[in-house]
Amino acid sequence: MIWKLLRQHISVSQFVGFFTANLVGMLIVLISIQFYRDVIPVFTEDDGLISRTYLILSKKITAVSSLMGEANTFSENDIEDIRAQRFTRKVGVFTASQYKVYASLGVGGLSFGTDMFFESVPSDFVDTDASSWHFNPSGREVPIILPRSYLAIYNFGFAQSQSLPRLTEGVVGMIPMDIRLSGNGQEERLKGRVIGFSSRLNTILVPEDFMEWSNSRLAPDSDTAPTRLIIEVTNPTDHDIARYIGERGYEMENDQLEAGRLTYFLKIVTGIVLAIGLLISILSFYILMLSVYLLLQKNTTKLENLLLIGYSPARVSRPYQLLTVAMNLLVLVIAIALLLWIRSQYMNLLWSMFPQIQEASLFTSVMSGCAIFTLVSIFNIIAIRRRVNAIWRHKE
Amino acid sequence: MNTITLKNVLPRVFSGRENELTSEIWLRDVEFQRGKKYLIEAASGTGKSSLLAFLIGYRHDYDGTICFDGRDISTLSTAEWVELRQRSLALLFQELRLFPELTAWENVEVKNSLTGFKDMNSVSRWFEAFGIADKKDVKIGKMSFGQQQRVAMIRALAQPFDFLLADEPISHLDESNSRVMAEIMQEEARAQGAGIIVTSIGKHMEMDYDFRIKM
Repeated sequence: MIWKLLRQHISVSQFVGFFTANLVGMLIVLISIQFYRDVIPVFTEDDGLISRTYLILSKKITAVSSLMGEANTFSENDIEDIRAQRFTRKVGVFTASQYKVYASLGVGGLSFGTDMFFESVPSDFVDTDASSWHFNPSGREVPIILPRSYLAIYNFGFAQSQSLPRLTEGVVGMIPMDIRLSGNGQEERLKGRVIGFSSRLNTILVPEDFMEWSNSRLAPDSDTAPTRLIIEVTNPTDHDIARYIGERGYEMENDQLEAGRLTYFLKIVTGIVLAIGLLISILSFYILMLSVYLLLQKNTTKLENLLLIGYSPARVSRPYQLLTVAMNLLVLVIAIALLLWIRSQYMNLLWSMFPQIQEASLFTSVMSGCAIFTLVSIFNIIAIRRRVNAIWRHKE
Repeated sequence: MNTITLKNVLPRVFSGRENELTSEIWLRDVEFQRGKKYLIEAASGTGKSSLLAFLIGYRHDYDGTICFDGRDISTLSTAEWVELRQRSLALLFQELRLFPELTAWENVEVKNSLTGFKDMNSVSRWFEAFGIADKKDVKIGKMSFGQQQRVAMIRALAQPFDFLLADEPISHLDESNSRVMAEIMQEEARAQGAGIIVTSIGKHMEMDYDFRIKM
């Protein structure tokens, strides 16, 4: 009965306007949060094989140094000095293969082959279980860790253009790889198996024991100083590290820095989009408040009469409060439904680019939506009640 | 509530004209008692509607003190006013304050659903007694002022009360209808032991008033 009275003068077009604006605002907020949550792990995730506390150092190669034939290798003294630094926990050297490597992969009848090289670091720098990261000369199978970017290049560039199947990390591990090693007048044929991908190491990594075995067989005489070091530090963000590296003219393979920049950029973009979404939400909130105020204004006499015959301000406010809360709730539900749909669309694209990506939870975005809903609803409820109280005191 | 007392009350609009007033209400000490019937005779512009607006808590622009059972009504909270309007003070407004977009029946129902005071049969009987039983489902906007006056009275009665305030209740009623209204009002007031305060500028509602006050 009250509702029949109070719904007089409700402007459908105004409420549709509010509804659309609020929906757009809410959706932008939710999508920006969810997108950020989904994409950020691509840049920041720990690959599980090489810990984030490991830094990789090399000496700077400049035009002058290469012309002058200056060594870009680390001497024993260099290594000892690094080991002595406060921030260093342990130091390992990269050992490179001193022989020729030819590897080929067969995918669906097609075969790719290439000359390449191997490198190894001490086993305790690789976080994988010891049984798989191990070479047994009688088993003739070499475990390999590839840079994650290789898979991305294949999936995103090559496979797409050649209409080849995209590969996940798991599938790559099942593809047999033939490896031919030659040097010192000998040749070894082995099987390779990719046991993992690293986004931190930009090299083709094999176990240290395999490197020792193969170098001693195929290049027994050569023994070169390392060009790259891997160091474990106590805190990778320590400023002393950057200062030390700068002073010594070393270079840090800084995927972290790169990821940091991208993350920063992504944060800014997300922040801007989020702000726009919030702005639209706030504006839509104003539209709603204006419509409700107008409605209350048009119904002032009715509200006043209801109050005079004994209705309490709370009772008279309730239909309008329920109306706005119901609309807010509807907006929230539709926005979450749209979010799920839009997310399924972009996640397909993301998966094709980064097959390793983990699905982030919806918790943050959904909770943000609920928070906006709650906040806006509380404001609506308070504003309507204040307006009705003003009518009670008959002040316009 | 047993008594309504006015102590030295004057509407602010009359400030500065104190000497011209010959009122038995303004600037006097007046007491209205539950169970008694009062007629306030007034010429227009003497502030009778103001008095009722003060009593219902709609307006507060007066000097002096109005008390309900000794309690200064300017100290009443919103919740207390709501309670009073639902349980103690029934008011027939001069301007009726009905809802034109609702039917006669719905207008009564708006009040009765709030108080839950009368059942459908009692309300129907009133409609019959007032001779507007056939108008139950007619929108208020389509009814004459006299018919609306009777609907407004039924609505005012659809609640428990200690005082029934009626602001010119019969201004648009013929003699037989005003007699019916007086009977129903007295019957309801008697049943609840309530007081009645009727205002009038012209013809008076026939009732055996305990007090006649000139405003």
